[in-house]
Amino acid sequence: MTGLPPDQAKEFHEQFKITYTTFVGIAALAHLLVLAWKPWF
Amino acid sequence: MAEQQVNRPRNPEDDWKIWTVCHPGIWLMPILFVVLLIALAVHNTVLNSPAYNFLAG
Repeated sequence: MTGLPPDQAKEFHEQFKITYTTFVGIAALAHLLVLAWKPWF
Repeated sequence: MAEQQVNRPRNPEDDWKIWTVCHPGIWLMPILFVVLLIALAVHNTVLNSPAYNFLAG
């Protein structure tokens, strides 16, 4: 096994999903702000 | 040796299994640095387009 054991992989993935969802949320907000400022399509 | 049959993953419920292969203790920071590089490249492209240079007055 080159990675984590299953139980630790599941535990890490829970935090990874939270952080990634937050990142996508902030990026989506930024895109909406740019869209309101100057639509690019 | 006979071809080993491996079950196809069902996603997203099996997504966590990636960490049983890629150890985050080794690969999390490189992954985050690549995300940063992509973000810097995208921002550089946007700043170089006159219409969308949000820093130009």
